[in-house]
Amino acid sequence: MSRKVKNSLFKSSVYLASFLSISILLFLIITLISKGINALSWQFLTSESSNFGSQGGIIYQIIGSLLLTLSAAIISFPLALGMAIYKSEYIKRNLFQNITNTLIYSLNGIPSIIFGIFGLIFFVNILNMGISWFVGGIILAIMILPTITLSSYQSIISIPISYRENAASLGLTKWQVIHTIVLPRAISGGFTGLLIGLARAIGETAPIMFIATAFSGVTFPNSFLEPVSSLPTHILALAQQATNPQALQNAWGASLVLIILVFIFSISALIRRIHYSKVNY
Amino acid sequence: MWASQNKLGKGYVIASTYVSIAITLLIFSILFCYSFQAFKEIGWRLFTHNWNPATEEYGILPMLYGTLSVTCIALLIAVPIGVLTAIFTSEIVPKQYRLYIKSAIELLAGIPSIVYGLIGIAFFSTWISSWFDLASGRTMLTAGILLAIMILPTIITLSDDALFNIPKKYKEASKGLGFYSYEVIQKTIWPIAKKNIAGAILLALGRALGETMAVMLLVGSIDKIPDSFYKVISPGQTITSKLGREVGESAFGSLHFSALNAIGFILLLLVITLTVFTQIYFRKKQETL
Repeated sequence: MSRKVKNSLFKSSVYLASFLSISILLFLIITLISKGINALSWQFLTSESSNFGSQGGIIYQIIGSLLLTLSAAIISFPLALGMAIYKSEYIKRNLFQNITNTLIYSLNGIPSIIFGIFGLIFFVNILNMGISWFVGGIILAIMILPTITLSSYQSIISIPISYRENAASLGLTKWQVIHTIVLPRAISGGFTGLLIGLARAIGETAPIMFIATAFSGVTFPNSFLEPVSSLPTHILALAQQATNPQALQNAWGASLVLIILVFIFSISALIRRIHYSKVNY
Repeated sequence: MWASQNKLGKGYVIASTYVSIAITLLIFSILFCYSFQAFKEIGWRLFTHNWNPATEEYGILPMLYGTLSVTCIALLIAVPIGVLTAIFTSEIVPKQYRLYIKSAIELLAGIPSIVYGLIGIAFFSTWISSWFDLASGRTMLTAGILLAIMILPTIITLSDDALFNIPKKYKEASKGLGFYSYEVIQKTIWPIAKKNIAGAILLALGRALGETMAVMLLVGSIDKIPDSFYKVISPGQTITSKLGREVGESAFGSLHFSALNAIGFILLLLVITLTVFTQIYFRKKQETL
């Protein structure tokens, strides 16, 4: 085969593959929007579901999802912040750095369904907390912990050394240095990580389906230990009755709402990342 | 006052680190403890073909086979398309548009897996059933195709980074020698980028192995290895779909529950080995560069 033929073959395969990828992308977006928009209405967003979800709206699913992610954020953020500061300021030996890295990456790599099983065994059965939204929040918090920690750690180590030297020459104690120099960057980086983590957490089904959600008859929880309903588990339940067109219609509506929520989180993370990458010291 | 704050602060950061580490270790040990019963009582009979809790038969081979074949299908489809698209976005698309394309792809990567599952049920399974004339379109092939679409964004963005970060001067020198663009990529870019692209594929593989919802809705959920092992256009079962379907139904503390934990533990070991391996592999590469 001549060089020229090889080159044009290669080029056309690149174009073909890109065309495929782009059509898949467009297909997904167009499908989700066009199918979802038919189901969306003010009434759909503000009424509760009835008849196993095939009728009515998704108000309690939206509230449940927001409650789960909010509790995950509140539990996870301080923990991740502390770990990122400890990792950057206190751990000096390479060995410990490697150990914590490996642990963080392992936690990040654990399949989401395993978190669900862990939550079912440990929180629901051993600690006897029952199926409740609070357990779901804890499990989602554990799941997004590595994302926040790494993001926060990355922005701490990007602080120029001169900042620390100046602070040290002013006679600041270690904690004063952390408080005035490290902490603001850690919080800012951690917040970007938090948004990325929440974008993932709000769409997860597998970790919460055994431990935090019930399907029908759920309203606003009165205590920490009650189940909620959530958008992803609602979509799951509706997808399993896909032969019913009304259920499928509601599933598309709920999917569009879920994706909009995911995109709100991920686009704000993206904007923050682009904004802060331009900051120069 | 500062002295006490110093201690308080240190206490806080140490406590949060140890809590995080303890949680990670707890996940491993809890899963191991609860699968121990199955390993002890079932032992090597875990590696047989039949899964039937009523007769206390817990063979996990169909699930291992399902996970393996669904993942292979996904990689076979997603790797060539993904890497070639990455060549397009990094080498052909003008620089000013690259950021927009990358952002769009990254947003796509954020679509929850349950939504992919819904799309799979509404479209892919009906397509597969009409193309291959099947009663139900929920097969391992359907799940594999959908999984390919799900890991495609990961492969594209990470490979694109790997290709784009190669210094311009290499490409220019290579072009200056009169190479066609195919040869520039084959002889100059590929040897430098291939390690990072391999890393991207490993990460995608880790995600594919652990993916639950979309696979669970589409794989068919029948614990059987087809008569001929390459016949992927038939319903099967993966580890994750098995867990998703049955954990809620099994009684806590029973042998059934323990056997499910055992497959979960095997999945965990697989994915973690992969993750740690990828990490070590990348670190070594960084040191040598």
